[in-house]
Amino acid sequence: MPDLKPFIVLGLALGGVFALSGVGLVVLYRATGVINLAYGAVGAFGALISWELINNARWNEWLAFLVCILFGGVVTLVYGYIFGPMLAPRDPLVKATATLGLLLVLLGLSSWIWGDDARSIVLPTTSEGFSIGEVNVNYTQIIALALCLVVTAGTAVFLRVTKLGTAMRSLANDREITAMLGVPVRRVEAAAWLGSGLLSGATGLLLSNLVGLDMVGLTFLVIAALAAALIGQLRSLWVTLAAGLAIGIVQACATPFESIGGYRSMTPFVFAIAALLWFARKQPALVRV
Amino acid sequence: MSVAEKSGSTGAGAVAARPPGQRFDRKTIVHAVGIAIFFLLLFFVLPGITSNYWLQICTQVVVYSVVALGLAILVGRVGMVSLGQIALLAIGGWVALRIGFATGLPFPILMLAAGLVTGILGVIVGLPALRLSGLYLALITLMAAAAISIVLQQTNFPNGGGGFLGYDITGSGTAALRRPSIAMETTSFFRYTLIVGGLMFLLAWLHVRGKPGRAWAAIRQSQPAALAGGVNITLYKLWAFALAAFMTGVMGCLLAASGGGLTILQFPTQESISLLAAVFIGGVYGFAGAIVAGVFIKLVPALLDNWDLPPDLLLILFGVGVMQVLLTAPQGLAVQFPKDMMKLAKLIARPFTKGRKTAGEVAR
Repeated sequence: MPDLKPFIVLGLALGGVFALSGVGLVVLYRATGVINLAYGAVGAFGALISWELINNARWNEWLAFLVCILFGGVVTLVYGYIFGPMLAPRDPLVKATATLGLLLVLLGLSSWIWGDDARSIVLPTTSEGFSIGEVNVNYTQIIALALCLVVTAGTAVFLRVTKLGTAMRSLANDREITAMLGVPVRRVEAAAWLGSGLLSGATGLLLSNLVGLDMVGLTFLVIAALAAALIGQLRSLWVTLAAGLAIGIVQACATPFESIGGYRSMTPFVFAIAALLWFARKQPALVRV
Repeated sequence: MSVAEKSGSTGAGAVAARPPGQRFDRKTIVHAVGIAIFFLLLFFVLPGITSNYWLQICTQVVVYSVVALGLAILVGRVGMVSLGQIALLAIGGWVALRIGFATGLPFPILMLAAGLVTGILGVIVGLPALRLSGLYLALITLMAAAAISIVLQQTNFPNGGGGFLGYDITGSGTAALRRPSIAMETTSFFRYTLIVGGLMFLLAWLHVRGKPGRAWAAIRQSQPAALAGGVNITLYKLWAFALAAFMTGVMGCLLAASGGGLTILQFPTQESISLLAAVFIGGVYGFAGAIVAGVFIKLVPALLDNWDLPPDLLLILFGVGVMQVLLTAPQGLAVQFPKDMMKLAKLIARPFTKGRKTAGEVAR
């Protein structure tokens, strides 16, 4: 039995980012009914921009990181502000499919501008850290874990307590009735898009440090976040958080085992498919009587 | 509810309106003749006017057209979105290579076996999600596609080695499936692929025109109504899934024999998304849309490459296209383009017709 402690630290950091993305997806879905499949692509594109700013334009690192996060917010907001209302009356499936359009545009643009080489961004917090026992922990990993806890708790409180949060929850129930009650629907939706987008920028930045800056890879890490969100039934923030962390830990702890190590990236799918089977069991099926 | 919700009714209901005694109306005959001429042109003329390189690309276009047709049936006829068709194509190729290297079975049997195994796998993937909403089906197929590509990355495609996986790590890497003896050359293999592809289109047409097509149309309009009408929803949804996967698996077998063997790099997860975009752009209701999609996926990148343009432009076009189709033109390019051209022609013709009218008025 190999020593798993270092892998648990890795897993908590990775799982924290999965959970963070998952929360970003759930918040947007609850307010607007959109599963943003371009979530990972937006974050990765932002990270590529900040890579470009740091390495070629010689910008200050922190300024470049800020640009990445803002890019996520702005692009998501613009997409949501333009296409959200047009697609609002359509089926959730159509709304999710439309975000694939954004995903393809970003993938095409990035591969046109930057090619397919793998890059990496090292946050200044990575070089510093401390040890617990024999395990080294760096501050980026701490940030990933802390951010996901803070964001989940903050979002849960925000949705419950503030006026805007209440408006978002009512939007999730019924868009038209909410509009009738005098809630500025478009403004509330825009807030949800912006918040989710800022989170996508932050996750893109963290992932390009923890995993590596590869556009296609990061784009499809959204699937892991999606798995966490699905386990939370696209509703519960806390279940999403727990699922994200669990996926991260299991995935990282599979690394030292030779027989399953190569298959460790399948962890999110195994979790999500098991969860879906479980939900389908409870679902009243449409069958012939 | 489905992606197709904005559209009107499709051809499935038109069958009953024909007067009795007349087997086919004129429109159908014109269509059939048109398709036959198109097919014969591809079969006899195309190999004569293109080089082997472009013929190989055309073979791929046929393969991907059929894959696109399977997806178009799922999206357009039943209202289900699958984001894992390319992974199923890879599965078809894997099965064909595995059986092909292990046995000396004739090529058509290999195609059937690849199709059947892929069909069964498609059903297994779709089964749990069918009880949940269409959104969950799309998401689970995306996950299954990613999972399949991870597995194939580890196992590689069989190249004649032993064991269950059939991969010989010391071998030359990839190895192509042996071609059927009547189609050893690039030209004859293109024709072979064209015939199989044509048969797949025919199979799909028979389904859409027959009882499954009517059941699918009912399910797409309203599941509760279809249920009340006595349609076995689970069966027909699974049937559609199995049909699309079967067609894709058969094409996987042809793909395994077309080039120098298969690698996982040929089946990236994003290609499934590009395929969906191409199918949307081509149009999900007609069969011509699937051919347009196949051309977009395989021929256009080769052309862009040939003209020294970055093939990434196509991805951007796909992205813009899928949004445009979802927002404004649910019937896709194959239907929308002729309509737009008609409009344009009318617009150009307007000053002339107006002029003629005034001239007529003057004469009166």
